[in-house]
Amino acid sequence: MAYQKIQTIVGALATIILSLLCTQTHSDELAYTGDIPVFEETASKAGIEHYYEGPWEYFVGGGVAAFDCNGDFKPDLFFAGGTNPASLYVNQSATGGKLDFNKKDDYVSAVQTAVTGAYPLDIDNDGFMDLAILRVGKNRLLRGNGDCTFDHAYEPFRLETDSSWTTAFSANFDPSTAQPSLVFGNYVDRIAPGSPWGTCDDHDFYQPSPKDGNTGDNARLYAEPLKLSPGYCSLSMLFTDWNRSGRPSLRVTNDRQYHRGGEEQLWHFDSGAQPRLYTQNEGWQKVVIWGMGIASADLNADGFPEFALTSMGDTKLQQLELDAFEENGWPKYRDIGYENGATAHRPYTGTDLKPSTGWHAEFDDINNDGLLDLFITKGNVEQMPDFASNDPDNLLLGKHGGGFHEAGLEAGLALPTRGRGGAVVDLNNDGALDLVVVNRGSNVSLFRNKGALYNNRTRISGNWLQIKLHQHGINRNAIGAKISVKSGNSTRIRTLQVGGGHASGESGFVHVGLGVAERASIRVLWPDGQWSAAYRAFANNFLIIERNSTEPKYWYPE
Amino acid sequence: MHDAKTVSMIMKTTALAAAISSVVVATSFSFQAQATDDSSVAPWNAQAIPRHIDQEQLNGVLTRSEMEALISSGEHLFTARFRKEDGVGRPMSTQAIIPTKKKRPARHEFSRTAGLDANACVSCHNQPLTGGAGDFSVNVFVSEGFQNTDFDNTDPQFSNERNTNHLMGAGLIELLAREMTDDLQNLRKVAVQTARQQASTHSIDLVTKGVNFGQLHAQPDGTVDLKDLEGVDQDLVIRPFTQKGVITSLRQFTVNALNHHHGMLATERFGERWTGSRDFDEDGFEDEIQAGDVSALVAWQATLPPPGRLEVDNEAWRSAAIRGEKQFDAIGCSSCHRPTLPLKSVKFADPGPYDFAGTRRTSEDDHNAIYDLSLTSWLQQLPHNENGEILVPLFGDLKRHKIADQEVATLGNELLSQRFVERDVFITSELWGIASTDPYGHRGDLTTLHEVIEAHGGDARKTRDKYLALSSQDRESIIAFLSTLVIEPPQSVADNF
Repeated sequence: MAYQKIQTIVGALATIILSLLCTQTHSDELAYTGDIPVFEETASKAGIEHYYEGPWEYFVGGGVAAFDCNGDFKPDLFFAGGTNPASLYVNQSATGGKLDFNKKDDYVSAVQTAVTGAYPLDIDNDGFMDLAILRVGKNRLLRGNGDCTFDHAYEPFRLETDSSWTTAFSANFDPSTAQPSLVFGNYVDRIAPGSPWGTCDDHDFYQPSPKDGNTGDNARLYAEPLKLSPGYCSLSMLFTDWNRSGRPSLRVTNDRQYHRGGEEQLWHFDSGAQPRLYTQNEGWQKVVIWGMGIASADLNADGFPEFALTSMGDTKLQQLELDAFEENGWPKYRDIGYENGATAHRPYTGTDLKPSTGWHAEFDDINNDGLLDLFITKGNVEQMPDFASNDPDNLLLGKHGGGFHEAGLEAGLALPTRGRGGAVVDLNNDGALDLVVVNRGSNVSLFRNKGALYNNRTRISGNWLQIKLHQHGINRNAIGAKISVKSGNSTRIRTLQVGGGHASGESGFVHVGLGVAERASIRVLWPDGQWSAAYRAFANNFLIIERNSTEPKYWYPE
Repeated sequence: MHDAKTVSMIMKTTALAAAISSVVVATSFSFQAQATDDSSVAPWNAQAIPRHIDQEQLNGVLTRSEMEALISSGEHLFTARFRKEDGVGRPMSTQAIIPTKKKRPARHEFSRTAGLDANACVSCHNQPLTGGAGDFSVNVFVSEGFQNTDFDNTDPQFSNERNTNHLMGAGLIELLAREMTDDLQNLRKVAVQTARQQASTHSIDLVTKGVNFGQLHAQPDGTVDLKDLEGVDQDLVIRPFTQKGVITSLRQFTVNALNHHHGMLATERFGERWTGSRDFDEDGFEDEIQAGDVSALVAWQATLPPPGRLEVDNEAWRSAAIRGEKQFDAIGCSSCHRPTLPLKSVKFADPGPYDFAGTRRTSEDDHNAIYDLSLTSWLQQLPHNENGEILVPLFGDLKRHKIADQEVATLGNELLSQRFVERDVFITSELWGIASTDPYGHRGDLTTLHEVIEAHGGDARKTRDKYLALSSQDRESIIAFLSTLVIEPPQSVADNF
């Protein structure tokens, strides 16, 4: 009898708690009052037909590089194709108009197959964007010619590379070298005994060859790679100055599906020393996830970036524990995903309640309200029965009181695709960020941002700035720089990085939402640690900041 | 002050005007009548906003009766003394233009520095009539609105002290600014297109309505070099309001001022869309100023008649003024204090075309109004040029100038730049109404016209020196001329139609 009473009480309590939880969820839904951007999927209309396909090796990967390949300041799109050829689409979109792309078949002399991902960067400092191509096979560096053509066999760019299965990449400009250091992150070593379980490949770290004066014009820029071992089947990596030391470390997220005894990793890259892993003695905590993608942003503008790590199930949102850091310099992180409503652990719509599978993740202010949002591509690996099969991409909108609000459904992102790589980028120069998603087995999604949802139409959202940095000589695009944008008492920080996401990278204008601020002061922490003077900027403009210039240049789209 | 005189622009009472006046009286009471008819509002209730004005009722070009009702409501709001039950106060937010939280409530809610510093708009804008200028005693302290109220004080390190401007003719000023912005941005567009087509740098003079804002150099890659810009912001938006010339529109000004001076927070900037809260200032009142309320205030300000010219009966004064006006032109005063600027259209769209998020914009909703200033009787008094454009007699150029130098530094008395404009740079004061709006100077600390002319340095230094080099009789003639630039005797809404 007593047991029954207790059961009844427990049952009643459970009902109350459940109803409270439901109410809380419901009230949270009602509580979001900011702008919800509305997207229209327009890939086919825009002239893009591209599928990422292939067998097991291509269950992962599927990246996109968004960058300006012809100097018109519009982001062009390079898509990994898996067993299909990688393709380049040149942006013809009119300013503020519909998205419009032309496929450029002759962008390179050799068909690029077996490509899993791509990252744009200017390797040889010639002002033209090059591409680091991630492959199942030998990785490549394609040299950009500035007209959306690329040199496939430029000898100085040739890499000494094994036939690995590469799924991650990051680059960093060391001030002492003329070219960036490159890391290609490898996945499963398929020919190792016992593969695939516990047979993760090591990573390839390429340092620029020292110029000793005896090398000719055709001398290779990179010597044989240094192996970063152990590799734990990485699907994303990112050079990050997580501790404001001015010396980036390499953050690596790893897939527990295949590693055994592995974990998330952080590598020291100290000057003159071999790269080495942070250890538990240095405060690094063992985290084991199905790591798929890394997004990084300084959410609270304290100078220390937060990291979103996509996985199967919960997305992690990690914040540095400042006490441990200040006391010991430890890279000890706390997961603040749950308390901030950022776990995105299962589909937000439909009846499939199984865990989600997250891939590409990227922070940006997608609704221009001044707060950072988080975009995550989602999709079942292939046919994994324990995970959601209908798994739409997420749009987590930052809230003024802190935390995030899921708006993927209202925003029009809930498509039955299997997303992989992605990009958050303004494709038609209207200040509203558009979304690109590479889907496995179906056409890419090209989500045009049509503005904020309002009654039965859309309307313009908040103010914004887009900023491009430039310096002469080495590292022309100022990789590693921080842009600090201050309006009123709010400071918004952006860091220029190459890496992260899921096999996808971007270059070009850096977007900053300003909310209701009509002007802002901008300061740049250049990669060598020098601060710029404060630049004054009016909102809703594109700015180009040349190092040592007294004023930013305003750029006007056609 | 003035002996026998008549005002040239005094509205002639015609049968039509009388008829309209009756309508105005009827409609002007309609707002209040609605309020008092509401059984929930006690007859003795002195609340400034017993009921909000419905923006959804304001669409397209308003009819005369719609305008009259709206303007009447605007006048009511402008003169009303905001009270606790209206939502006055902002215990947990600052006077900053961008919504900014305080770390802790101020000990005293009213303060002459960080605000609240007035009970009503008319508390300051009252000389010589409602919507006019203000005495030194109602100077305002302009600061950025730090989170920490300890810094919001009279120390010039933290705030600039400004005298209250008059608002007469403000609608015409904003319309001029919009047309000039149109011109400048079109010039930029053409220059960028030309540079792209010609694949070479293309430079243009930025001239609109005869006012030169320097040069712009467009590059073939779509960038522009702005180093030779003069007196206008880099985005080529003419911002005609405040002493500094940093506010784009009456609407933006109104939203700023309601927050700063009264702690009345407009939903269009401080509401839940942009702050996540309907009570951002945490005073217990949600959405205390709504879109229609701001529109009413804008409509009232935009339709205020411009100042006029005295027709002086006194022969000595009249002849001196005629001579003084010529001197004013001859020594170069009119190069900045331009007697007139031509205006093409008197359709005042609210919201306007150049506001940013945080001030209502045309695409925000489906309820945009146009106030047709040609419905006002005062507009008919203004002259036209050969192109049919209205000549707005502002005595200004809507351009910013450096107004102090090493030797003549009186007007360079601020330590803080404001909204990217250097401390010694101000927009040319429009001189219309100057005879009715002493004291002078942006701090209101100069009591005579002679003193303020003498204080002109910087870009105005040569002209000022010429003035001082004139004979005392010629200097006096300029004063005699300026003394004819007056604001009309007190008017009511009815007088405007």
